[in-house]
Amino acid sequence: MPGMNSGLSPDDPTLVAAFRSALLHQSAIALLIVAFLWLLWATMRTWRLVTPAAKAEADGVDGETAATADLAEAGGVDGGVRAKGEGAREARGRAVLRVGFGFIWILDGILQAQPKMAGGLAAQVIEPSASASPGWVQHLVNWGGTIWSYHPITAGAASVWIQIGIGVWLLVARNGPWSRLAGLASVAWGLVVWVFGESFGGIFAPGLSWLTGAPGGVLIYVVAGALIALPENAWRSPRLGRLLLGGIGLFFIGMAVLQAWPGRGYWKGVIHGQPGTLAGMVQSMASTPQPHFLSALLADFGSFAASNGFAVNLVVVLALAAMGAVFLAGFVTGRPRLVRYAVWFGVVFCLAVWVLVQDLGFLGGLGTDPNSMIPFVLLFSAGYLALTPAAREAPAVVTASAGAEGAAGAEQGRGGRERLRLPAPKTVRTAVATASLRSVGAVAALGIILLGAAPMAAAATNRTADPILALAIEGDSSAMDIPAYGFQLTDQSGHPVSLASLRGKVVLMTFLDPVCTSDCPIIGAEFKEAGVLLGPADKDVELVAIVANPIYRSAEFTQAFDREEGLAAVPNWLFLTGSVSELTQVWKHYGVAVLDLPAGSMVDHSDVAMIIDRTGHIREVVGADPGPGTASTQSSYSVLLTQYTHQVLSDP
Amino acid sequence: MIGRLTSGRGAVLVLLGAGVIGLTGLTAGCGTQTAPVSTTPSLRAATAPLSTSLVTPQGTWAVAVMGGSAASENNFWQVFVRPAGASRWSLVTPEGVADNGGLVATGGAGGASLLVGFRPSQGLVFSPLAATSDTGKNWTPGLLDADLADVPDAMAVAPSGRTLALLSDGSIQAAATAGAAAAGQWSPLATLSGLAASAPGRECGLVAVNAVSFGISNVPMAAGSCQRRGVAGVFADTGGAWQAAGPVLAGGFGGDQVQVLGLTRTADGNAALLLAGSDLLAAWSDGGRWTVSAPVAAAGGVRASGFGPGGSVWVLLGGDRAETIGGPGGSWQGLAALPKGTATLAPGTGGYDALAVAGSELTVWRLSGAGWAKAQAINVPVQYGSSS
Repeated sequence: MPGMNSGLSPDDPTLVAAFRSALLHQSAIALLIVAFLWLLWATMRTWRLVTPAAKAEADGVDGETAATADLAEAGGVDGGVRAKGEGAREARGRAVLRVGFGFIWILDGILQAQPKMAGGLAAQVIEPSASASPGWVQHLVNWGGTIWSYHPITAGAASVWIQIGIGVWLLVARNGPWSRLAGLASVAWGLVVWVFGESFGGIFAPGLSWLTGAPGGVLIYVVAGALIALPENAWRSPRLGRLLLGGIGLFFIGMAVLQAWPGRGYWKGVIHGQPGTLAGMVQSMASTPQPHFLSALLADFGSFAASNGFAVNLVVVLALAAMGAVFLAGFVTGRPRLVRYAVWFGVVFCLAVWVLVQDLGFLGGLGTDPNSMIPFVLLFSAGYLALTPAAREAPAVVTASAGAEGAAGAEQGRGGRERLRLPAPKTVRTAVATASLRSVGAVAALGIILLGAAPMAAAATNRTADPILALAIEGDSSAMDIPAYGFQLTDQSGHPVSLASLRGKVVLMTFLDPVCTSDCPIIGAEFKEAGVLLGPADKDVELVAIVANPIYRSAEFTQAFDREEGLAAVPNWLFLTGSVSELTQVWKHYGVAVLDLPAGSMVDHSDVAMIIDRTGHIREVVGADPGPGTASTQSSYSVLLTQYTHQVLSDP
Repeated sequence: MIGRLTSGRGAVLVLLGAGVIGLTGLTAGCGTQTAPVSTTPSLRAATAPLSTSLVTPQGTWAVAVMGGSAASENNFWQVFVRPAGASRWSLVTPEGVADNGGLVATGGAGGASLLVGFRPSQGLVFSPLAATSDTGKNWTPGLLDADLADVPDAMAVAPSGRTLALLSDGSIQAAATAGAAAAGQWSPLATLSGLAASAPGRECGLVAVNAVSFGISNVPMAAGSCQRRGVAGVFADTGGAWQAAGPVLAGGFGGDQVQVLGLTRTADGNAALLLAGSDLLAAWSDGGRWTVSAPVAAAGGVRASGFGPGGSVWVLLGGDRAETIGGPGGSWQGLAALPKGTATLAPGTGGYDALAVAGSELTVWRLSGAGWAKAQAINVPVQYGSSS
């Protein structure tokens, strides 16, 4: 899939260091956001306390009493006014989802901070996951994956903060509109990850199985988020629980049918002398880096599955079918007792699959989440809890407050719907001062999400790659200020060109073999792109290549190369050549090695680019090895060359 | 609304369950890999591999790939020469261009030189050329600003120096002289669609052009694969119009699709190697009449082929088999079981040399008596990784 993979190693030290540095800096910003919001909140609250007290004392009234009364009027004296609905006890099922997925999102965010994630996610997670899917899925995933490969540091860091932010938001916002918004945020980001990160959970690829994570672990986050975003009244009735269990039941039955489907390799432990589908999967998981006791356990289970493939799959099919049937029964009858047994069984079964098949989801390689079993446990547990009588939970205690919902006011409308209304400016100050600590936490979480989302959105609109990729390949440039050797050569049209004739312009120069098969076409394309990126400044720049082949060096070959790379129409492009002796002198003075190799090899030459200023002095020397030569590294290199050229252009 | 959903729940349940099960089956069906509907064209075009040998007055030349890597950019094509009158081979691969894409060689003007074309690979999309007139000691660069076809007879040079090049899209370009070819001055001679639309092309049902050569009177010739059964697609350009110039095959081959794998100029006319169905035929022309050999089974496919002095033809087949035929009127003779790794044969005095490749090692085996005797070993300095 072109564009998806930068081709760089995930271990690349430059990428790893840049990623760490970005996370460190953004951690500081996140802490500042939290500290600022806390300080603002504390300050506004103190002001709110002091002002009535001072006014009261001026009037001869006890200040402390006045301040307390004021806060009481605003709606609370216990350190924060409860937002509408916050006084109500949250439905247990909802709490399980909110807290469970809150922690899972935070875990996923932490996993996203692994050092190799920036350089490795596209190549080691997204690309393999999409490779078995149909072309249209790969095309769509490639679009998103390209953003990552073009901006690995920004995208990697963004994923960390967005996921941690969503997790914190879910945890601190217990109920009310802020909590529902957290659910919606979970839905939105979950869908992004499900489509672009999991290739729709692999549902369009062959070999789909509940055991391996179908329909995609993060899709369950989306479902949970949608449930959390429901009005809280929906959780007061067992009907939601019944519907949820009914849906899960149908899904499990469908997965049981799929698991039982013949010809998919799950019924056989060994196929043609090789481990069957499940056994092979488990054995390959066992070989990934992880604690020894775990790999031994997986290896043993893999051997067991290979020897008893039919029995293992039968257990899985029956377990899925039984759970599905019981959950459906729960939907039909609404009785929780039978469902309770199925829930406990499901917890044990899912945990077993989580360990023995999914290898905890994130061990070995670049794990990004704990896969699907834990989310499933949370989902059907929430369904069961929502099924139990709502009478156990305290009725909602609504505390009247003019502007108690943080910056956004909310009021209970008819039919239980909450409407948002814009607060009047005067109430914003009051809202801040009277907001609960949880609301402040929610705002802070939103700030953390924006810390990631804003740069990611900007990166998505930037069609050029970050220069970090080029720096990772060749390192930084060498700055200098030495006179450039004054060559006299001939351009592709046969006209004489000397360095002196280019005075007054900045020269971006390299050495290219016109019949090269690997690096030079890429470098030529990078120079062409740099010319485009320079924009209006291009008129002050000359893009120059000097032939680096002692045999295939005539103008016919430079012209053929120009046509091959689309450089013939670039007005400020010069591909210079000369006699062998002339070229040898130029190579020598610019420190370029050119070596004719035998036995069918191309000429070996240095890959280097130089920026020569208007007075003929070399100001920057940049390694020009294109590395993997992917679309992202090419773009990155063009951006880097452009930046250096701009620097030299701006020098007096 | 929720209440309404749970009423009539039995029917709803059955419907939903059936829907889920159906959807599951559909997903399983979509996810299960099925055999693709066959879209194989009626004629699967066959071409000869690039490994070959040719004889010029200067000597015998062999082209073979070395390296042995699974990665194509670590396989490098080599040119070897055994000068006329000599018994030892030398490595003379032209330098300056990576040849991972393959080499096409043809005798030069007047047979006094060799012209080699580099097939494009990776980022290179055109074909540099190299010509030698001193058995490969020195090479002169040339240019074909297009991509040579992946067949051993993709180039031909007439005694006048006029040069033909067959491109990968089936079109043919011509340069007036060897100097023009070197300078990159080529002009279009024919396209595959044009040739296929001509009268002889329609008669044959031409689907691919596989070889170019010159005939008597330096007439440009082209040969290819025909869809119509029993017709050998050999054409000659007579004053701008293509005429049928191929052999008429005996009745036994009337039901076979015929593909020309090789076409070369001989002292008397042309020689061709044909694949009729699963049988190989050699054919010779004196400019007017064709003589066709008896068939030999192409069991295991053609691994390499070439022409030798007097219109002789050799083919390397699967299972280390080789068949040769001396010329018109001759019959196919099987050679002794080939040495392991034989990449190409090269005609020698009184017999053949087998050039066997193992990685970067070339071993020359010479046929003597009933068997092969090792004659020479050459360690080729393959530059692994240089094209990556």
